[in-house]
Amino acid sequence: MAVNKGTRQFFLPSLTPAFLIRAGCVALLAYLIFGHLLTPFRIKGHSMEPTYQNGGVNFCWRIRYLFSTPKRGDVVFIRFTGQRVTLLKRVVALEGEEVEFRDGRLFINGKELNEPYIHYPYHWTLSPRRVEPNSVYVVGDNRSGLMQNHFFGQASLPRILGGPLW
Amino acid sequence: MVNPVRNFSGSSNPTGIGLKCKPAAAAGPEGLWPGGSSGIISNGVKLKYILIALILIAIGAGVSLTLFQSEEKRVRKQFHLLSEGVSKEPGENIFTMDQKIKKIGSLFDETCEINIPAHSVSGRLTRDEITGYAARGRLHFAELHLKFYDFNIAFPQEGGASVHLTARLTGKTTTGENVEEAHELDCLLKKIEKRWFFDRIEVVEVLKK
Repeated sequence: MAVNKGTRQFFLPSLTPAFLIRAGCVALLAYLIFGHLLTPFRIKGHSMEPTYQNGGVNFCWRIRYLFSTPKRGDVVFIRFTGQRVTLLKRVVALEGEEVEFRDGRLFINGKELNEPYIHYPYHWTLSPRRVEPNSVYVVGDNRSGLMQNHFFGQASLPRILGGPLW
Repeated sequence: MVNPVRNFSGSSNPTGIGLKCKPAAAAGPEGLWPGGSSGIISNGVKLKYILIALILIAIGAGVSLTLFQSEEKRVRKQFHLLSEGVSKEPGENIFTMDQKIKKIGSLFDETCEINIPAHSVSGRLTRDEITGYAARGRLHFAELHLKFYDFNIAFPQEGGASVHLTARLTGKTTTGENVEEAHELDCLLKKIEKRWFFDRIEVVEVLKK
């Protein structure tokens, strides 16, 4: 079967200097975008269900908090260790605020927080504690498991990498 | 302008560098390097010394880099040995277990400060206590693998190495439960008689409850 010259050129391009420059630019752009602006992540675990499902794929929008700080209710990526292991959690309290869990209800500065994103009942109880300066308090949306097995607490702001793209 | 260079072996050009490099210079002043005839020798000599200096700098940098790297490699090797000691294959026999526990013990100083907040382990433990913990911990696993990544090694003082890295623990418990954990570690190693020993291991608490 005769292959169209244009099709062949598309799939098997000649290695001309112009092509190599174009390919180099595309590679550099991809590295900058996917390495530093929109980092792809695969979600592993159930701690953010039903908002984010186990096995889902998302992108971390790295410049989301470049000129601002996370607000209550924001979902954030937290650098856990190295550059590859991150946590996806929801910000529930800001610096200086007091956090407390009372039999499955979250209290901030003594007032119960309305959390429409919680779909599974839970029974955590945690004595009041104040969020340290330059930190935010983060918790997962799925608190149906044991409190001891759930990663939550205050994270320092420099560890927050960004927010999910969707 | 006078050209003092008469021939390749002439006494007025003992170095001969300029002419060897630029034979055209022998033709007359027009063929010389900038600076005229005297420039041939001075530039040539300068070039020679610059080259020698550069080579010496390169050798010095290479030697110091090699020595520095070897020290870094020695530190990395301790982590590799710890990884080997902790890791466990299914069906491990008692002899291998004993050897591995001894290996773990040999990597630590007489005492080592260990802080693992998630497991409520905190304090300065003796080598025997550490091997005891390791032996008991390994018993809970049918299969265990410990790997280290993202090494960031610094030598803040003579005989001390500060290492910041990621530890990844994977395996299967004796009850069949899969385990997969990753932690950021801050470690301090001490050099005693040309060997590095763990002096402090601390799991960085990213989320403080």
